[in-house]
Amino acid sequence: MKRASLSVLGGAVGILFFLPLLWVVTNSLRPGSETFANLSPLSWQTFLELRPTLTNYSALLNSAIGRATLNSILVSAATVVIGLAVCATAAFGLAAFQFRGRGLVFGIVVLSFLVPFDAIAIPLSTMFRDWHLTNTFAGLVLPGIGNGMAIFLLRQFFLGIPAELVEAGRLDGLGWFGVFRWIYLPLSKPALIGAGLMLFLFQWQAYVWPLLIGTDAKHILGPVALSNLQGQNFTDYGLVFAGAVVLTVIPLVVIAGFQRYFVQSVSSTGLK
Amino acid sequence: MKQRQGLIALAFLAPALVCLAVLRIVPAISAVVESFYTESLLRGGRVFAGLGNYTDLLSNKDFRQSVGVTLLFTVLVNPIQVVVSFLLAVLFTQRAAGAKLWRTLVILPIATPPAVSAVIWSVIYRPDGLANGVLERLGLPAQPFLTSSSQVLPSLIVMLSWIGVGYWMLFLIAGIQEVPEEVREAALLDGAGPWRRMISVVLPLVRRPLAFVLVADTVSNLLVFAPVQILTKGGPNGNSNLLMYDVYTRAYAIGDIHVAQAEVVILVALTLAIVAGQFRLLRGDQ
Amino acid sequence: MRRNLFALPAVAIAAALLLAGCGGSSGDSSGSGATADPGPETGTITFTGTDNAETYQPVIKAFEAKNPGIKVTYTQIPFDQFNATMQQRLSAKDTGIDVYTVDEPRVSQLAAKGFLTDLSDLDAKVKTSFSATAYKTNRFRDKLWSLPMWNSTQFLFYNKTALAKAKVTPPTADPEQRWTWEQVEAAGRKAMQSGGTKYGLFMEQPEAYYQLQPLAESLGGGSGIEGDDALTPAVETDGWKKAMQWYGATFASGLSPRGIGGFQTGPVFAAGDVAFFVGGPWDLKIFGSSKVDWGVAPMPYFQGGKPVTPTGSWSLGINPASKQQGMARKFVEFATLDPAGNLVTTSTTTIIPANLEAQKQYTPQMDKFSGAKTAGAAAITTYESEHTAVSRPVSVGYIQFEEVMGKAFADIRNGTDPNTRLQEATRQLTDAWKSIK
Repeated sequence: MKRASLSVLGGAVGILFFLPLLWVVTNSLRPGSETFANLSPLSWQTFLELRPTLTNYSALLNSAIGRATLNSILVSAATVVIGLAVCATAAFGLAAFQFRGRGLVFGIVVLSFLVPFDAIAIPLSTMFRDWHLTNTFAGLVLPGIGNGMAIFLLRQFFLGIPAELVEAGRLDGLGWFGVFRWIYLPLSKPALIGAGLMLFLFQWQAYVWPLLIGTDAKHILGPVALSNLQGQNFTDYGLVFAGAVVLTVIPLVVIAGFQRYFVQSVSSTGLK
Repeated sequence: MKQRQGLIALAFLAPALVCLAVLRIVPAISAVVESFYTESLLRGGRVFAGLGNYTDLLSNKDFRQSVGVTLLFTVLVNPIQVVVSFLLAVLFTQRAAGAKLWRTLVILPIATPPAVSAVIWSVIYRPDGLANGVLERLGLPAQPFLTSSSQVLPSLIVMLSWIGVGYWMLFLIAGIQEVPEEVREAALLDGAGPWRRMISVVLPLVRRPLAFVLVADTVSNLLVFAPVQILTKGGPNGNSNLLMYDVYTRAYAIGDIHVAQAEVVILVALTLAIVAGQFRLLRGDQ
Repeated sequence: MRRNLFALPAVAIAAALLLAGCGGSSGDSSGSGATADPGPETGTITFTGTDNAETYQPVIKAFEAKNPGIKVTYTQIPFDQFNATMQQRLSAKDTGIDVYTVDEPRVSQLAAKGFLTDLSDLDAKVKTSFSATAYKTNRFRDKLWSLPMWNSTQFLFYNKTALAKAKVTPPTADPEQRWTWEQVEAAGRKAMQSGGTKYGLFMEQPEAYYQLQPLAESLGGGSGIEGDDALTPAVETDGWKKAMQWYGATFASGLSPRGIGGFQTGPVFAAGDVAFFVGGPWDLKIFGSSKVDWGVAPMPYFQGGKPVTPTGSWSLGINPASKQQGMARKFVEFATLDPAGNLVTTSTTTIIPANLEAQKQYTPQMDKFSGAKTAGAAAITTYESEHTAVSRPVSVGYIQFEEVMGKAFADIRNGTDPNTRLQEATRQLTDAWKSIK
């Protein structure tokens, strides 16, 4: 009984959040000339299309979206893998050890994410130019790697891992890297997924940065290609929305794919 | 022993510290340096201006208004988003049919390209848009939303919450999953006021993730500019002129990099003060 | 030109720097095309702009056919980031840009910053090949910095069905019988009462200086900028006040809708929801797919005032850091000075070529862009370009000006008192220009 009403409540909330996106999906299946035609008065046609057309999606084939999506996947994947390694080790360094200056190091980590990236992108791009990193994949991946917020997140979760576990592991002959690898990481899957998503989204939505370092058609990323679909005098929103759907589906697959790991936790592994 | 620990910790921290130093701190320092310079016609080229950019900003009416708007926005948006994210996290960690599907839908807006989110909400808030369509169905009068000085900030908060709460919920779900399931189940099935029990039992157990969400959400909201840029351009009458949007306009649209960097320094100082306050509050709580 | 919804109006850095050159000692910062090393005769040059790649394919193809050994690669940068990106890359002396598109009101800033190669040796040729307004906007401090590629104008589009229903005789396409704004307003109200439209009048870019400058200029209010240095605000003239009073009232009375902007304005006309719409040549084709029956007339003026229309578009310029000045010049000259080359830049997009010879061949086609609906568009275009076109002011402070005025227009649209808001704009402009002066 209680479960049923919770399901209904959850479903209602989920649908409410999805409605604006449904409007986008529906209009990606309509000619661009009809995008704003069904707004008022509000009716079911606003959100549903009985005669969908795929012309917008086939028109996408002539744009750079395909290549850009692949590039974005490549850049985001590289950032997540390298970034998680860098951030998780750092969070472990901050959470598992007592040392002088720990507060200072943590302060630097916090400060690093208080500084808006868009504000330092201009001086940073000048540095990248000197290092000949313009128009390279390395130049695109690098700014995403050191993510202070991800370190902060992982530290918060690592602090919750009981000290007895670490001691037990040390007694069993585990080195510090072993403690990190075999105790901390397996117990923090949900947090690691959260941090991974954070690193992923930073790159998936990268827009100003790739332009500042002068990326050409070969290195173009998703948001840039999406923005290029708009004209100066006119925008075909059917086409833009189709591009947006393509760029949203990939994170959706990632999020949905990792959902099952969320059930696994300290409690379910019976360690706590 | 402690010193040895420090060295080992440093080894783990080194790659991240190098990245942060090179990719964030060094350009940030150069930004601070630039904020003390100006381009002058009379003296030619780039000259040292001392605190000139700062005093110019502080004596500017629009800038002072922007600080006020930003503080008001911060005070409103963060409690709302944190509370809603927490309630959603509690809801979606119950064993209920379809919970995974529904929570995926709630997370989805963060994955939508920001430019497209802005188009969606411009359509929702249009005078003949979706929001007024719903109000009309309910027999309520139409609202001006983004074109009204008093409604613009609440309208932006609703939009940003649609984008953000699912994302922050994710980290709280991760925290709640750490709480033994029996504890949660017991709390839920215990007769009177399950929600209140749930909150009073779970809340203390997710303190650390909650602290993260509070701080990270606050910082993220202080750095918001894209929706303002696309939807309101800071208007009407400067009532949605958030500091980061002002910085962005100065640095990218107008290209006045020196004053923009001075404004960034003030913004970061403001953020730092708020975040420091939050850390103190959280510690005092223990 | 049309500002994009996702757009930041523009970039270009501290105008103070721009003026550094006029402090006296340093002189002109940029290299001169005549003396610069022309570089190799063959190879690949890069061309950077903000239109999609298809737009420039025909001109690139034609150029490559005429100049064997030279290849042109086009790179597109999204419009909202175009000026910021170019600013950053040009100041870093990026050799990966040879030729780029220049928004006409920004020529002065780009030139003052040393981001454009001096093309003054082409001055005489340019003077005769383009309209006087186009020639003037591409010059700064007695030198020529870029060559005009395109031009624009504005039309009054009207919903024929709605006007017929409201028993209103629609305006004619004859520029000599141009309607006044007062006539448009009265007819628009009738269409709202009995023509079945939601609104009477709507501007395509309701908060853009490009489209609103003519309102004030029509009443003799001036461009809003004055002084020898073109850095003195003049937006509180009677003309500006009267124009903005009228403009604000069109929204307050419901004649025009608030809260709709960006690319969502055109669809309001295409859906048949508004009787009159002020838009550009691109709309001649875009509205062709609309189910509404419509026609075009010249842009209105105020009763007792004079007819004024907007003009201007993109020019082409050369990056002084380019190591291929010779090839870059060949391409720029082909796409602008050569009538055939200039004409072909407009073959996949609806914009007017700036070269007078090309314009002569182009404009007659405009009458048939959307069948009988666009009849008269050609004559209007020619007339406006010769008689009524007023370009945006040439000032190193134009970027700040456009930014400040855009916000003022938005506030006036949303109900702020025009007189106080224009006063506020004067203060904001004085503040913003303080550092330049």
